[in-house]
Amino acid sequence: MTDPDTDIGGPLHKFPVTHHSAIINARSDDQHIRRRAFDTILASYWKPAYKYIRLKWRADNEDAKDLTQGFFANAFEKNYFATYDARKASFQTFLRTCLDGFVANERKAGQRLKRGGDVDHYQLDFAAAEHELAAHASSTLSPEDYFHREWVRWMFTLAVDAFRQRCEESGRTVHFQLFERYDLSDDEVSYASLAADFGLDTATVNNYLAAARRDFRRIVLEKLREITATDEEFRTEARSLLGVEC
Amino acid sequence: MRWLSDDKLKHLRSVVSEPDFSATKYTFVKELGRGGMGVVCLAEDRELDRLVAIKVLNTPELTADFGDRMIREAQIIARLEHPGIVPVHDVGTLPDGRIFYAMKYVRGSRLDEYAAQGASLRDRLRKFQSVCDAVAFAHAHGVIHRDLKPQNIMIGSFGEVLVLDWGIAKIRDDPRSSAFHQTTEGAVIGTRNYMSPEQARGEVDQLDERADIYSLGAVLSFLLKDQPKVSKAAHAISSKATATAKESRYASASHLSADIGRLLDAEPVSAYRENAFERTSRWVGKNRFLVLLVLAYLLMRIFLIFTSRR
Amino acid sequence: MSKPLIGVLLGAILGLIDGLTAWFTPAVRDQLLGIVIGSTLKGIIAGVAIGFFAKKFHSLPLGIVFGLLVGAFLAWLVAFMQGGYYFEIILPGTLVGLIVGFATQKYGKPAVTANT
Repeated sequence: MTDPDTDIGGPLHKFPVTHHSAIINARSDDQHIRRRAFDTILASYWKPAYKYIRLKWRADNEDAKDLTQGFFANAFEKNYFATYDARKASFQTFLRTCLDGFVANERKAGQRLKRGGDVDHYQLDFAAAEHELAAHASSTLSPEDYFHREWVRWMFTLAVDAFRQRCEESGRTVHFQLFERYDLSDDEVSYASLAADFGLDTATVNNYLAAARRDFRRIVLEKLREITATDEEFRTEARSLLGVEC
Repeated sequence: MRWLSDDKLKHLRSVVSEPDFSATKYTFVKELGRGGMGVVCLAEDRELDRLVAIKVLNTPELTADFGDRMIREAQIIARLEHPGIVPVHDVGTLPDGRIFYAMKYVRGSRLDEYAAQGASLRDRLRKFQSVCDAVAFAHAHGVIHRDLKPQNIMIGSFGEVLVLDWGIAKIRDDPRSSAFHQTTEGAVIGTRNYMSPEQARGEVDQLDERADIYSLGAVLSFLLKDQPKVSKAAHAISSKATATAKESRYASASHLSADIGRLLDAEPVSAYRENAFERTSRWVGKNRFLVLLVLAYLLMRIFLIFTSRR
Repeated sequence: MSKPLIGVLLGAILGLIDGLTAWFTPAVRDQLLGIVIGSTLKGIIAGVAIGFFAKKFHSLPLGIVFGLLVGAFLAWLVAFMQGGYYFEIILPGTLVGLIVGFATQKYGKPAVTANT
């Protein structure tokens, strides 16, 4: 009979399948793969990049919009991300450095960027970004820290949206609604009040919320995996994203 | 899309890092602390109806090989059955892929808290000796801790001393070994103030028990700090343990423990050579009561001589 | 070093000192040798008794009390045989017994307990 004090065991769950990194795929020779990778990177970074340009480079909203679109268009056309080396810095730092270089060059050239390029069709909601900036601009953070904070905020925002979509697709809208009421809403709610509102018992509310949080976490990490190049970078960024002190 | 305020963001970050024990026999009670490696929680073991401390490591995705290695090393550490080493009860994987290990929940205070509560020098040294004994045991079984510091030492409610957090321990002679945390040459792990010079340089493969000796010496320095009447012998022990060259340190934690024992018994220590005056003072200090009795006898004798003369 | 041996050595040394201080009493100075021998023997006897007591009974208070009593008794015997100097003999003799009682309890190899 095993001694409960020293028995080591427990099932080793199957590990999640490693997702392909958009950073790695951005170097692909296949145009389609590169395009999809670029879409992922753009989706993850356009908003923090826009806010960063507005704050650090003090560009007005129109210039910032042009610069953001211009940067990503150039990044794709000239394949900036092929030169990224995960051993030297995180992708976030690399992108921000490239962005600074791009804006500095544009300023030096003194030309107004022609709008367009491959970024045009992305329907980026700059108006919403501008509204957020006006309502919630920070004066205490350095531009670099501000970029990071906005990146974290945007990653979680994308994750919430992705989670909502997945719940709708899989018929688990109750899970999302509970998550929304308990974890996203500013109202204080209890399991008992949620149980009453949804016609469930508190144990079920507890289980659904636990499952929702688990799924949400998985989505956050999936999104992060897409924009990191190596396991080491992924783990480092995960610790940063999840707010673990080092 | 919904705007996430700073408070909401903070909440969501804690939500996703909160461990999910739903597929295990544990029920989350509360978070005890967070660190670079992960989060430590208080949990209830429903099968054995007892509280345990669970450390959940922040390694969100793992390869099967890494997971197997961590479990194997957890088994080695779990076999360190010593009253001074917090026993590991269980190791496993959470539904979200994170590795956890469950260990005895120690009620008490950390060594730094214990010292801050005004423990006497003698009590501090006794506790320190217990730490040395636990570390010596681990070394004898081929395990090097690599992160010894006051915050990783607990004083239980019965005064027992337990060394915690073997999370970055190394199994000696296994260059790939690093329980719970993958390290490579050049990587610096551990806590700077208590880290040996070779560890600070990232010489992971050259680390041996003397790295822990250095850390123990640093812990001793911490315990001696701001204490009144600390003898030169005590400082000498601390200096020897924290020698820059590892060849100059104590060869083992047992030797360090023995010297502390001699210090406590007012015996000469190997780290310090006394002069005649110091030796005499030490002997007198150790046998204070006898010396006083003999002095009292001699004084009484002198008194009787003078009274009989009159 | 065994407890009886500590008792003997300490008893002898203190007994010797005791005896030698009789030199400061002119009235008995001519009997100094006898006093020194007697005092030393007294110390040895007290030391043996107290030492064996300490070997058998491990209790500091008991050892001190026993030492006190033995020292006082032997000193009284000597004073009685002298026919005087009771205070000058009994007080130091008692103190010697106390010192030997303390030392034999605190120091020395205790008796090995047989396994049962």
